[in-house]
Order: sequence, then C-alpha cells, then structure tokens
Amino acid sequence: MSALILSGLALAFSGFAATSITMDRHYADIHGRGKEASRATRLRLRTLGWIGLLLSFMACIGASGWHIGPVLWCGILSLAAWTVTLLLQYHPRRVMQGAWIGIPAALLAAALLLRN
Amino acid sequence: MKEGLRQSMAWVHTWSGLLVCWLLLLVFMGGTAAYYKHEITFWMKPELHKAADAPSRVTPAESATLAVRELQQRAPKANAWFLDLPHERNPLIYASWTNPPKKGMTREERRAAFRTQNFTLDPMTGENTAAPRDTRGGEFLYRLHFDLYYMSAIWGRWIVGVAAMFMLVAIVSGVITHKRIFKDFFTFRPRKGQRSWLDAHNATAVLALPFHLMITYTGLVTLMFMYMPSPTKALYGAEQSAMFADVFPNAERVKPAKEFAPLADIAPMLLQAERAWGQAPTRIVVSNPNDANARVALHRPSGQQLSNIEPTMTFDGVSGALLIETAPMSTTLDTRAAIYGLHVAHFADPLLRALFFVCGLAGTAMVATGALLWGVKERQKYAKVLAKGGRVGFGVRLVDALNIGAIAGLPIAFAVYFWANRLLPVEIAQRTNLEANCFFIAWGLAALLAQIRPTRAMWRFQLTLGAVLLAGIPVLNALTTDTHLGVTLFGGPALRAVAGFDIVVLLLGLLLGWAAWWLGRKARKQAAARQPANPAQATPLETA
Repeated sequence: MSALILSGLALAFSGFAATSITMDRHYADIHGRGKEASRATRLRLRTLGWIGLLLSFMACIGASGWHIGPVLWCGILSLAAWTVTLLLQYHPRRVMQGAWIGIPAALLAAALLLRN
Repeated sequence: MKEGLRQSMAWVHTWSGLLVCWLLLLVFMGGTAAYYKHEITFWMKPELHKAADAPSRVTPAESATLAVRELQQRAPKANAWFLDLPHERNPLIYASWTNPPKKGMTREERRAAFRTQNFTLDPMTGENTAAPRDTRGGEFLYRLHFDLYYMSAIWGRWIVGVAAMFMLVAIVSGVITHKRIFKDFFTFRPRKGQRSWLDAHNATAVLALPFHLMITYTGLVTLMFMYMPSPTKALYGAEQSAMFADVFPNAERVKPAKEFAPLADIAPMLLQAERAWGQAPTRIVVSNPNDANARVALHRPSGQQLSNIEPTMTFDGVSGALLIETAPMSTTLDTRAAIYGLHVAHFADPLLRALFFVCGLAGTAMVATGALLWGVKERQKYAKVLAKGGRVGFGVRLVDALNIGAIAGLPIAFAVYFWANRLLPVEIAQRTNLEANCFFIAWGLAALLAQIRPTRAMWRFQLTLGAVLLAGIPVLNALTTDTHLGVTLFGGPALRAVAGFDIVVLLLGLLLGWAAWWLGRKARKQAAARQPANPAQATPLETA
C-alpha cells in the first residue's frame, strides 16, 4: 500500500469526521445533551471536511491514475465512512481527536503529489 | 391515492427487495467470492501447492516454449491450445486444448472431455506437476452467481437478470424513500430493535452506494446482448454472430486450411510483444496449430485501465509475422468494455481487490438486514397476538424461514463445498458434480429445517454450524494437506493465496460465531427478564 493511498484514506476519514462532528446528534454525543454547534463552527468544519474529501480524491488519482483512481476513491470513502460511523457510536470523542490526522496526511499527500 | 412520493417508493422498495432477496444473497455471496476465484481454485487443488512454492525463474518465452513442446506431443491435432503463463496471481503454467468435435457428441460430453484435456507444468523444472484433483474450484462459485445450477445457463441468466433489475429498482427507490439520508449518514444505534436493523441496513447500503449501484448496473450490462436483443435483431436479423464479428474483430475465428504446416517458434513472438508492451503476455491462444492457417494470439492484462478487453497481438502461426494488434476501439465499445471491466475488476491490485471484496460483503449484509427488517416490522403487527401466546401469520413465518435458510444456510453450503473438496475421494468419478451436489444438499437441508422450525433456536443452530464449518476449514486443511497455515504463512508468495483463504474463512467463521453468541445472550437476557417478573409482583416491598 503506497503512502499516497494511506494518506488518501486518512484524508477521507478526516473529511468525514470533520463533517460528522457538527451534525446535531453527534455534536450532542460529544459535547453533552442539547448542545448545538455554532453556525461558524459548522461552516468551518464542513468546508474543511469537503477539502479533506477533495484532497483524498486527488491522492487516489495521484496513486492510481484517472482510470482506476476514482474506483479506488469510492472504496476508500466507504471504508472511511464505516470507520467514522462505528467510532461515533462507541468512542465519539475519538472522532474529534482523530480528525486532526487530516493535517499531516494533507501535507504528506501534497508533498508526494508535487514531487511527481 | 394521496400518498406522497416517499411513501409510494417505500412500498416499491419493500416489495422489489423482498421478492428477490434470497436469490440476491446467493448472487452476492457467489459474486463476492468470485473476486478471488483463482485463489479459491488454487486452494482447492492442494496437489499444486508444492510445485508453486518455489518462485518461477524461467522467462515467459521459456515457459511458453516448454508448454508448446508438451502440447505438440499430447494434442498436435487440436482445434486450439490455451496457455496461461505464470504471473502475479498464477504461479504455474496451465495448458488446455479443444479437439474437433466428434459427430453425435452432446454438449455435456464435450464439456466432460474438455475437463480432461489439460496439464499443469512446474515453471521451475518444466515437468508436469502432480495431477490436481478434479474440481471446478472458484469457477463454480463464479458461474453460480449468474448461471445458477441444475438448469440451462440461459434460464439462470434470465432469472438472475430479473433479480438484478429488481435490485436496481430497490436501490433507486430506497434512496428516494430514505428521508434522512444525510442526517443519518453516520448513524448506527445498536441494541434498539427495529431502529438498529434499519441503521445497519442504511449504513451498509448508503455508505457503499457507489459500489452497489455500480455492481448491479454493470452486472446487467455484462449480459446486455441477451436482455436487450432488439437493437441487434433490428440490424442483423437472426445473424447475431455477424454482429459479434463486426464488433469484436479480434475474436474472429479462422477456419483451418486442412493442410499441414509446421508451427513457427513462439518465443520470438513473445519477445516482440514484450518489447512493444513493456510487459510480457500472460495468456496465449493458438488456433489451428500445425495447420497452414494457424494463428497465435498473445494477450496481456489491461493494466491501468478499466476495460475488460485484454490488449492482444495476433501472429501468423506459420510465418510468425504480426497480423493484427488490438485496434483502437470506438468510444461506444470502450465504454462498454469499461463498464464490463468495472464489474469483473480484473484491473484491481491486491488492495483494490480487497476493497471490492469488503464492499461485496457489505452488499450481502445490506440484503440480509433488509430481509430481516421486513420480518421485524411485520412481527410488530402481531405483538398483541403474540403476547396472548398466539402465532404470527403465514407470511412472517415463511419469510423468517427463508431468511434462516438463506442468511444462515448459505454460509453452511459454501463451507460444505470446501469440506467436500478435501473429503471426497480424489479418484471418485464425477467429482466436480459431487462437489456441487454437496453445496446444494447442504443448502437444501438447511432451508428445509428452517421451514420446519423457523425459530430463534434454529437461527442459533445454523449460525453455529456455519461458524464451526467455516472456522474449521483451516484445521481441515492442516489435516488433509501439507500446506497448512504454519507452512503457508512463511512460504513463498504463491502460498500467500492459500494462507489468505484460510484466514478469510476463519474470520468469516468467527463473525458467524459472534452472531450466534449474540443471539444466545439476547435469549438468556429475555428469559432472565421474564423470570423475576412474578416474584417482584408478589413482594413489592422488597424491590422498593
């Protein structure tokens, strides 16, 4: 498994995690019953989430090309989404902490993509 | 008729799914296994494991020359020779041939004859390997998932095709009827009864939706000439073969000249192809060997492309001159090849193949949870009747029984197929048919028992049986062959397929075992909840 694919997986996880932790149910699971994310937080994390997914797509294209890359991306998205779903149920705070992995993964992916 | 779109789609989703779900489970499980059909076949021929263990040190050209020499001795007058050279997923040299059909031979007889017309060479020594046992291996599971069994392939394909069309309807209507598709995107709430089943159904369906849509649609496209024959009929009338010749010129068959001409050396052709492609061919088809019209077609995997059409070079078998290279295809054909290719995933490297396999399992889980959900929902209508000690209606009972037979029964059938492979005597006649019969006898018995007693105890019994049989396969393999996990985990790369098979069936067995244990715990809890109810009423002070 190449480093690029791994960073793509981390980015997909991070992207989904950032999106999910502002959603009402999951935000309340993490921060306590009845709490809601502010508009600004929501917008910021959602934007970051989409950027993560986009970068993960680029990492997959970089790793496997335009033919296979999108197929790989779909598989990786499913895997990341299942991980986030299960973590949100059993260790919701981990999702918030885990989302940070997107930052080093983005740097790694960018470095690997620009090098080529 | 004041129903909204969502409600009406819920109805469509429920019934299009329920009517075909048990067949879909078979198709999904078979198709998922088929992603590893080469590995399964290799596992099912333990006689080959030893020869494959040593890494191949001969070049493709040398392998091909070895095989051709052997074919010249064994089948100089064959119609065609087929050669598979060693590559990543295939450690050995496989050769087979077809003879000119004799008059009065039935199709069955021709197939039976073809199964004996093959040999396997050890690429290290060039010698024949030990004769492998007669088995269809992963090919049986692959064919099962669209041809079914005990019927003509055409019937099977129509039945599976109808089920796939229902599935496509179920997917689309399911997306429409799922009101909270985004709000509940990451939601899974366990231990909440119907809620949990619905969450599990949504999570397996929505989070792998691209795969489910793709696999259903592309599956229909692979057989589109059969399901939608009208365009071909309109253009070509009854002559379907003329259409195929136009569309796939490479596949055109050249008739033998019935005139002897020696076959040219095959090695230079391979080298020429390897130079042009930067990659050695992996499959060779020689048509009309030793005839003036001999043709040698070299194929290679399509590599970093979705297309299922392998790039091919065709040589004149007598002069050795290059005749045709795969012509650039029209966009239409390329699109079809890519759609077809997506379904069969020949392009997938080990990681991507594993992802396809996991998504296939998710599809199986999606169908299974959907089928269970119907029973859970319908049962609620009988809550009052059940509380009075009454019985559920015929429909619920039937669906419950079919669910047990398919969800818990099918894994038993798969496991029994692999057990039969190891336990049936190697020399027994009709061995391939017997293996398949074992699959269906096991499945039939499981389904029958489920119909007789569709109870929770039956669920636990069948799940436990499936778990023991699947998890027992590595043990069975250790007892019946020399290539058990202790050897294969530390052996050469070719043995990784054997180790992988053992580990995956072990994990699937553990999964079933966990399901059986979970059901048992639930039953004990319910029994415990019922027990103290009476004493508590009798002595209210104690509990207060």
